[in-house]
Amino acid sequence: MREILLAVPVLLPIVGGAGMLVLHLKDGRENKDRSLMLLTEGFVLLNSLVIFWLLRYRMGSHLVLFRLFGNLTVRFKLDPMGGVFAGLIAFLWPLAVLYSFEYMKHERRKKMFFAYYVMTYGVTAGIALAGNLVTMYLCYEMLTLVTFPLVLFPMTREAKRASRRYLYYSIGGAAFAFIGLVFVLSFSATGNTDFVPGGVLNLKEAKAWRNILLLVYVLAFFGFGVKAALFPLHGWLPQAAVAPTPVTALLHAVAVVKSGAFAILRFTYFSYGTEFLEGSWAQWGVMAVTLITILFGSTMAVREIHWKRRLAYSTVSNLSYILFGATMMSSLGLAAALSHLVIHAFMKICSFFCAGAVMHQTGKTQVYELDGLGRSMPVTFGCLTVASFSLMGIPLFGGFISKWNLVQAAFACNKNWLPCAGVAVILYSALMTGIYMLTVLVRAYFPRPEEERVVTDLEKKYKDPGGMMLMPLVIFAVVILFWGLHSSSLMRLLTEIGGEAG
Amino acid sequence: MEGNIKLLLPVVMPVAAGIVVLLYPGFRQVRKSLLTMVLGTLALETVLVGLALAGEESLRLWQLTDAAALILGVDGVSRLFAVLTVGVWLLVGVYSTAYMEHEQEEYRFFGFYLIVLGVLLGLDFSGNLITMYVFYELMTLTSLPLVLHERTKEAVAAGLKYLFYSVAGAFLALFGIFLLLQICGNQTFTPGGVLTGMLGAGVASTEGAVTDSLVWGKEGLFLTAVFCILVGFGAKAGMFPLHGWLPTAHPVAPAPASAVLSGVITKSGVLAVLRVVYFVVGPEVLRGTWVQQVWILLTLLTVFMGSMLAYKEPLLKKRLAYSTVSQVSYVLFGLSMLQPQAFVGALSHVVFHSLIKNALFLCAGAVIVMTGKTQVKDMRGLGRRMPVLLGCYTVVSLALVGIPPASGFISKWYLACGALASGTGVWAWLGPVVLLMSALLTAGYLLPLTIQGFFPGADWDKEMLKLHAGQVSQELHWEAAAEDRKKAEPSVWMLAPILVLTAGALLFGCFPGALIRMLETIGAGVL
Repeated sequence: MREILLAVPVLLPIVGGAGMLVLHLKDGRENKDRSLMLLTEGFVLLNSLVIFWLLRYRMGSHLVLFRLFGNLTVRFKLDPMGGVFAGLIAFLWPLAVLYSFEYMKHERRKKMFFAYYVMTYGVTAGIALAGNLVTMYLCYEMLTLVTFPLVLFPMTREAKRASRRYLYYSIGGAAFAFIGLVFVLSFSATGNTDFVPGGVLNLKEAKAWRNILLLVYVLAFFGFGVKAALFPLHGWLPQAAVAPTPVTALLHAVAVVKSGAFAILRFTYFSYGTEFLEGSWAQWGVMAVTLITILFGSTMAVREIHWKRRLAYSTVSNLSYILFGATMMSSLGLAAALSHLVIHAFMKICSFFCAGAVMHQTGKTQVYELDGLGRSMPVTFGCLTVASFSLMGIPLFGGFISKWNLVQAAFACNKNWLPCAGVAVILYSALMTGIYMLTVLVRAYFPRPEEERVVTDLEKKYKDPGGMMLMPLVIFAVVILFWGLHSSSLMRLLTEIGGEAG
Repeated sequence: MEGNIKLLLPVVMPVAAGIVVLLYPGFRQVRKSLLTMVLGTLALETVLVGLALAGEESLRLWQLTDAAALILGVDGVSRLFAVLTVGVWLLVGVYSTAYMEHEQEEYRFFGFYLIVLGVLLGLDFSGNLITMYVFYELMTLTSLPLVLHERTKEAVAAGLKYLFYSVAGAFLALFGIFLLLQICGNQTFTPGGVLTGMLGAGVASTEGAVTDSLVWGKEGLFLTAVFCILVGFGAKAGMFPLHGWLPTAHPVAPAPASAVLSGVITKSGVLAVLRVVYFVVGPEVLRGTWVQQVWILLTLLTVFMGSMLAYKEPLLKKRLAYSTVSQVSYVLFGLSMLQPQAFVGALSHVVFHSLIKNALFLCAGAVIVMTGKTQVKDMRGLGRRMPVLLGCYTVVSLALVGIPPASGFISKWYLACGALASGTGVWAWLGPVVLLMSALLTAGYLLPLTIQGFFPGADWDKEMLKLHAGQVSQELHWEAAAEDRKKAEPSVWMLAPILVLTAGALLFGCFPGALIRMLETIGAGVL
């Protein structure tokens, strides 16, 4: 029963987080903060170590935790694709927690915040390690519930409205996803919903119900697509930018939204199977929607002047890059989607953390207020520069690699003109990215001379945040550069995954 | 990494030096050490480039992705562009030491000035399309701080305009590169193109059609890709329809920056187009297709439009910028003819226009520094105060118009002869006609400054008196008038580079043999 270790990364943070909620720390404020910090960082770090250990030594193992009834089991399995996602969050979470401590220093109700933050880790790990559709669906619903309090955290009217919207959207989406689950179960060749590369549908039986099944696929795509901010169901994401930055950065740029994209990848390549979907109207339909989302998201980001909301719109468009890769229904497409999933995680969390650092140090949230800050916060804006160039897709930065892969995959998928149009859309979006990211940089680095006096005052007043916030930023920037210069090992792994499932 | 590492040095060294200049606070306080550093780097760079150009070597850096390797290499074209770049950079660098004295934050200007030099050499040495694209994007981003150096509202707006046009062009080109990669696979620069080497493997070659076996059945897509690349990279060269950034960005930048932007950076757009057409796609593949026709049309349109706009522009630096729009399209026109003589004309015009336009912008900058005047109409009588400067201006203007024996004549001669021999139908004679008309307009927009400067007219002294009529006493009137007539040449640091550039523009016209022979060798390799 050594495979029970597989459940640890899921259960440990959930139990630990729940424990933190009821825990009563009564020493003085200073001490309380410190013990809370040690506890949280300890849990998260331990959990990450367990995940890395599993990735190293337990690849391919699986575990049936318990049986709901009949064929519905809660099953965990560590396969390469889940491993990529699990490894990604295991790398990001400890750094994000480190950042959060300095960021949240002056907030109240920290205990609740960190408890849910830790619990979310477990649930996200559950999505990464889920071995069948039932488990993934379960974790997916739980993810909504444990992140809901985090969006609500500021307790302002705006936050309440945003969190309510988030809840309705997500639960509604999950309902559609549930339809997909039911159909996969009834048409499964294996009699259960286990993830198998290439899908589990009984093709002979499915053929008779082809159009119904395709319709169900589209519904489930939109259902899971809610978390991945698919147009027109993206509305909750920019609004949720009211949450504290650690939440917007880690959850709304990586964990939660990528769970949506990851779920779609699983559902497409491991449940339905590309053989059934490839060339169908459903494929072109959802691909068109992802392209519309890319166009919409990047255009809206240019119009938005609230900095975090702008980044949120950028996330909307970038998530659809991943989904665009997913809808190519090919091994190359899957590899490209996963590469953008990984690389975008680093660049977007880096940008959000920079925005958060500025908010924390200066209280400025609008783009037009950023004049001259690049001079007073050089490290923060240095990291932002790296992240911006990467998001634009400038070569030598990570973002170029994933875009390159997406484009290669799109051209290889030549049964229709749509992927080709997709390349044009991606390049349009890259231009928009240039506009919405670089206007920020130019403002920050080149303030107008008439504001010089103000700026010199700023230089005295504002400075880079402390080491706990800076360290994650610098690490992320270095990782982005690393992917940009050396991506072949990552791509080899992803191509292998794609080759199996596509 | 395999190959000769000395190719990498001229790329990395200035970038490193530039970063040091930007980050080390000592250079912000002590002007002397900053200038020593900059001039030292430029001198060292000249030596390094000389060493790197000695042989025909290549250097494979590493795989960016599985399909894309970063490769540096030296051939005739990179030699031409590298020598031009370094030479101009050195001269303008010397000029800047005097010019930038009255600007703020010199260290930032010089830091990025050095970084751009490294990036440009990377662009010149690129051995395949992806490497070139990498340096092309980096060039846009690193030259941006030069454009918006003054940080005024207009400067920032112009900088952003420059950025967005360039980035849009680059992405349009990238789209084409992706398509091309899909069709051809290999994108290493090969004289004559990667496709024509495979000609005959498939379908027999017929006149005026894309006949390569690889491209067979995908002609439409292939030609669209090439067209996207031409228009995209054409943005940097100021080709219509993506020329809009140029007249906005050049006038607001400090004069040395506008000089290198006009003289060298626009030429990197030319280099990119040249590499794509002559080293990847292949001129034979392109000949007679709609892409060539539209390309010729666009260049001629740009030549004419640029000259017309320059003619009616009152602001001197902006006038020069429009002139650049028109002149760089001379070069593109020559390339679009796909004919050896026109090719030689185009490349020689790259050199000549670079020397001339740098000299012109440096003159304009010197006038700004010494008198603060920017409008052409205010520069009446300038020749009395700065005879040498205006003399240089006049000589290079004549060279640009194409008066023999100055250099512009040589390139235009080759361009016109090449066009007439190109067999491109109506373009063969329409092209030279447009070039001639544009030469007339060039005289029209450059020479009035000379005429008014040296010969302000008999009433000029009285005009000056009227100008100073507000002064208190009669004596002061005369003093002020005399002040305006006093010789006030700019310092030798500014004058010397201008003189060298002028001499170059003149001498290349008198003794073009060596250069032309070198260009003919390059042309023979690709056509």
